[in-house]
Amino acid sequence: MKGNSAFMRSRVLPLSVWLLGLLIVWEAGSWMLLHVAQTPLAQSKLPYVHEVAATLWKYSGTLVKEGGATFGNAGVGFLIGASAGVVLAVLMSLSKTIEQLAFPYAIASQMIPILGLAPIIYGIVRDEQVSRIIISGYITFFPVALNMLRGLRSVDLPALELMHSYAAKPWAVYWKLRFPAALPALFSGLKVAAPLAVTGAILVELMGAQHGIGVIMLRNLYYGPSHTYMFWSTVIVGALLGVASYGLMSLAERLIAPWQPEFRPKGGRR
Amino acid sequence: MEGNTVREATLIASAGNEGATSSRITTKDSVFAGRSKRKLGRRSVKWLNAGVILPLLAGVLFLVLWEAQIFHKLFDLKKYQLPLPSAIAEAIRDNFSLLLSYTGYTLTEAVVGMLIGSAFGFLIALVATAWPRWGGGSLTLVAALNAVPIVALAPIMNLWFGDGIGSRAAIVTATTMAAMAINAYKGMVSVDPLALDLMHSYAAGKPAVFRYLRIQNSLPYVFTALKINATASMIGAIVGEFFFSSRGLGYLLSNSIKVAKMPLGWSCIVLAAIAGVIFYLVVERLEKVFIKWHSSQRASS
Repeated sequence: MKGNSAFMRSRVLPLSVWLLGLLIVWEAGSWMLLHVAQTPLAQSKLPYVHEVAATLWKYSGTLVKEGGATFGNAGVGFLIGASAGVVLAVLMSLSKTIEQLAFPYAIASQMIPILGLAPIIYGIVRDEQVSRIIISGYITFFPVALNMLRGLRSVDLPALELMHSYAAKPWAVYWKLRFPAALPALFSGLKVAAPLAVTGAILVELMGAQHGIGVIMLRNLYYGPSHTYMFWSTVIVGALLGVASYGLMSLAERLIAPWQPEFRPKGGRR
Repeated sequence: MEGNTVREATLIASAGNEGATSSRITTKDSVFAGRSKRKLGRRSVKWLNAGVILPLLAGVLFLVLWEAQIFHKLFDLKKYQLPLPSAIAEAIRDNFSLLLSYTGYTLTEAVVGMLIGSAFGFLIALVATAWPRWGGGSLTLVAALNAVPIVALAPIMNLWFGDGIGSRAAIVTATTMAAMAINAYKGMVSVDPLALDLMHSYAAGKPAVFRYLRIQNSLPYVFTALKINATASMIGAIVGEFFFSSRGLGYLLSNSIKVAKMPLGWSCIVLAAIAGVIFYLVVERLEKVFIKWHSSQRASS
């Protein structure tokens, strides 16, 4: 527990001071804009923190419901995309031909602005649910596949030779050696993909959907200054969803692959 | 948390590198194999497999199937939903000058935003390295900013910076800051402890350690971050243009979808991809020049 309290002091204290400072600067900046600079639309540009917090509290029911809808949709797409990515990575590691076929396109697809495809996919499918899942899945797919392939490849050579000398079957090599070795890389991919999946889901909602945090965001943005606190609340909920998806992946990583250097008490640094 | 993100970033970038080098190697292989192909019939299969031809064939096959409307039958799509490649090519030809100027506009937003964002990120890394205890908090904050969806940032930046080029540059700035901060921090922290000891034994101050050791050591990481940001910044600029814009590829894309001009929408995506690739290649080229300078510096000393 001694290590834990040291962690609290060295990490959590500075971070909370930072957060507090940020909030104070925000509140002061909002006051400055409103009363000193008298900017038009001051509250839309930088609203009072306490007003936003009050709105968040007042409409927490709606926000949680719509945020949950977004998160669930992103989650479904994320799971489908991640599983497809893992399957493709395993196939690529099994067969040179499949890798040569797929890898150049996997790399090239990283260059295409994937989120730019969102309206096109929405235009094709015309169904918010399906297109949201497709986009979230598509975004998830490639980071996961690339990282997983890297992980499957990065096994210890002596360990591989040992398995070979035991005449291990290929599935045993995969199950006992390659999959555990690939877990850290897999989680790297998942942690890149998770916030992006949320982004994709919100993007589809902005383009015309019935439910989700993006719908309320757009609506309140267009209603003008009177709805500014609600708009900012939706922005904050969207941000929290992104952070939460990342945190969820980090937590899963800690639970499933806890042997990695950065989880040791000294954070892998000596 | 920081450590993880760094690893992701470097992993992606190195995966990219790996792909590039492996394809280069296989190109050479295929050339060699191609020469002996006429003598040995069996070799031709290997030559076909050799990394370049097969993906190329797959790509061509994909286009042909698309053109032959196989996908349309398979997924029950209409031609106005998923236009044929020939229609897309025609749309590009018909609107070439417009598309070109919009691509330039979007690319400008992306480049300006990326440069500002990367500069900020580098500064944050400097602060976090110089004062680890208190500066480290800023690193966590910037990592949290990275998880904020772009679509949530975009309307705010529009409120702040109007609907000119500034708001998109600001969006790109916000999205590119984290990768640079985290990578550069990693580079500055992971210096050789022996070199650090040597600097200490020379009684070098903090500025000197930064000037001669840490910044130099962070350069490879910085370029990794720049390469990640090159692709991310195009996404940021395009998504930013979906909202309030009167120019740019994202604006044209969302508009042509609204009025059901799908071929034009697709041609925006094609041009955005080409622009993104060129941007990436330029950064990669710069990296080669810099790394060369870096290693030659070391070789001469």
